[in-house]
Amino acid sequence: MRFVLVAAAKDVKRRMADPAALAIWIGIPVVLSGMLSFISNSGGGPPRASVLLVDQDNTTISRLLPGAAQQGSTPIDITAVTLAEGRRRIDAGKASALLIVPAGFQNAVVGTGSATLQLVTNPAQRVLPTIVQQALEVLVEAAFYGQRLFAEPINRVAGGLPQGPPTNADVASIAVEVNQRLASLQGVLLPPVLSVSVKTEASTEQPLNFGQLFLPGMLFMSFLFIAQGMSFDVWEEKREGTLTRLLTTPQSAGRLLLGKLLAGLAVTSAVSLTGLLAAVMFFDLAWWRIPGALVWCAFVSGALMALLTLLHLFAGSQRSSEMLSSVIVFPLMMLGGSFFPFEAMPAWMANVGRWTPNGLGVSRLKDLLYGDPSAAAIALAAVGIGVPAAIAFAGAWRRLRSFANG
Amino acid sequence: MIDVQNLRKQYGDLVAVDEVSFTAEQGRIFGLLGPNGAGKTTTIGCISGLLKPTSGRVIVSGHDVVTAATAAKRHLGIVPQELALYGDLSAAANLEFWGAAYGLSGDVLRRRVDEVLALIGLADRSRDKTSTFSGGMKRRLNFGCGIVHSPRVLLLDEPTAGVDPQSRVRLLELVREQAHTGAAVIYTTHYMEEAQELCDRIAIMDHGKLLAMGTLEELRRRVGEKDLVRFAGRFDSAATRALETLDGVEVLTVAADSMTIAAVGASRQLPAIFAALASAGADIRETTLSVPSLESLFITLTGRELRE
Repeated sequence: MRFVLVAAAKDVKRRMADPAALAIWIGIPVVLSGMLSFISNSGGGPPRASVLLVDQDNTTISRLLPGAAQQGSTPIDITAVTLAEGRRRIDAGKASALLIVPAGFQNAVVGTGSATLQLVTNPAQRVLPTIVQQALEVLVEAAFYGQRLFAEPINRVAGGLPQGPPTNADVASIAVEVNQRLASLQGVLLPPVLSVSVKTEASTEQPLNFGQLFLPGMLFMSFLFIAQGMSFDVWEEKREGTLTRLLTTPQSAGRLLLGKLLAGLAVTSAVSLTGLLAAVMFFDLAWWRIPGALVWCAFVSGALMALLTLLHLFAGSQRSSEMLSSVIVFPLMMLGGSFFPFEAMPAWMANVGRWTPNGLGVSRLKDLLYGDPSAAAIALAAVGIGVPAAIAFAGAWRRLRSFANG
Repeated sequence: MIDVQNLRKQYGDLVAVDEVSFTAEQGRIFGLLGPNGAGKTTTIGCISGLLKPTSGRVIVSGHDVVTAATAAKRHLGIVPQELALYGDLSAAANLEFWGAAYGLSGDVLRRRVDEVLALIGLADRSRDKTSTFSGGMKRRLNFGCGIVHSPRVLLLDEPTAGVDPQSRVRLLELVREQAHTGAAVIYTTHYMEEAQELCDRIAIMDHGKLLAMGTLEELRRRVGEKDLVRFAGRFDSAATRALETLDGVEVLTVAADSMTIAAVGASRQLPAIFAALASAGADIRETTLSVPSLESLFITLTGRELRE
């Protein structure tokens, strides 16, 4: 066992002597994710909130609400729907929020009653519903002070408009009255009669932000790069003659391979820990989820190394080994949720990708990081990844001697 | 001690090593001399456990390298023909790793690393990356990695190939020192001079077979007192027939542009030899005379030169 540690330490030292390779393994996923983020956000401008409006009041004031909410540069689009349609679309996650304006809203605004606006937000979104909520709260505040100050002109507008647009005399009269009220304003503060109650639809899934969504895929992209590079080391050692020399020592080929596996795990664990700590700092990841995620990352990256090592050992030449591993690794990244999250893939592709070794790894890592991981699902994935990896390791062990002599 | 018994290694129809047997004693240097492709490296591969013999046995310090590989390998030190070093690690880190591969650890390992660094003259460069070393320094470190665990049997596969003269002299000194410390050394080379200078016993090998074996004196006696004379020019069968009429002259090889003969007291016989060749119509442009040596033995045994 001591030699396994010595061999692993040797390989880690060699990797540290080549920081450029390390930087590439870690840097490429970060750069790719950044580019994908840029591409996905470019062309459409900043994201806008889609608000479904159910107007149960259907009065002049309630009809003014969409215009008030959308004025200026507020990133809100309002669509009038029926209550049933609104419920259906918000349940399907096809809008940022559903705003229900109750009957009696106009009466509340003009000061003869009270009303409660109901805002139902989409749990899958975090930022846009907040924007909607804050915009609505500003409107309510404005309505409150407007009501306190200008109830009479508002009442006149509300009562007059159904008969047609106000005359110039009406507008002038209202303007003079508003001006007089503003001049006499002395900071009236009374409890509001209008309030917003925000109700978030109950959901078992926590909403994921961009970083959270991409983190597992990015980590596994790094693991695949590291596994590809470190498993390729068998060819480097063969070229340098050290592999053949090692096989003349009392150490077995298995210990040598275990050492390489351990070195790979050390590197991937360092990358995982860095990524997960960054997620705690920037992506609201709960720190207590780190240990389980680290173990899972180490397990899957070790399995990926074993699989790729076998592949390298059966390649006919160093060049074909490089090409073959790239031909396999890049589609795995694409399918396995590293370039795009499964949530952004076509359903058929996501279904295929979730069953790749790294796809299984990404799916369960998401559970471990953000969800409520099921022990059975984790165990099933571990078996699905671990059994082929164990077979690959045994095959690599068997193959190493003839590879060295070939 | 190392005992090789009827060793045979076959790849399909190709017999790389054919029933080779020899013994190397502690404190002695045993040379395997032969041209490239003679089977020396395959023999070393079988002794080191890297290749599995088709038949025969190799016993290292009482352990069979096939059935008790781990125990046998503990006593073996190997200096491969090609450099086998980690270029991105320092000299000390290389020695530490190879020492650990043979089971050394702690203070013993550290002491041995220091001793070997001093021995191979790299103590002042111990922390430098190996990739920055000259060819000769790498060769010395390659040697050091093979002896860091003080092996009882040391296998050296053409350790001076491509080495500058200064490093070569130092390497040969190091080999002698290992024998003086009691190691049984097997040294393969295609340099006749190295074998003559270094080895206590020599086996001449070609096409996988041992052609002759013994001490340098024993092998020289096999050649007899005949000197070796090489001619360059233009020759045909008439020249061969003319030389065969002379007493004590033996034609070893003949080609259209060269001829090699063995002759007793060749310097005295040269006038008669030139006359015989001239009468046969041969055109001589260059003549080289050498005293009996391993090379002349090799030519006598194989009909070709060692470096062909």
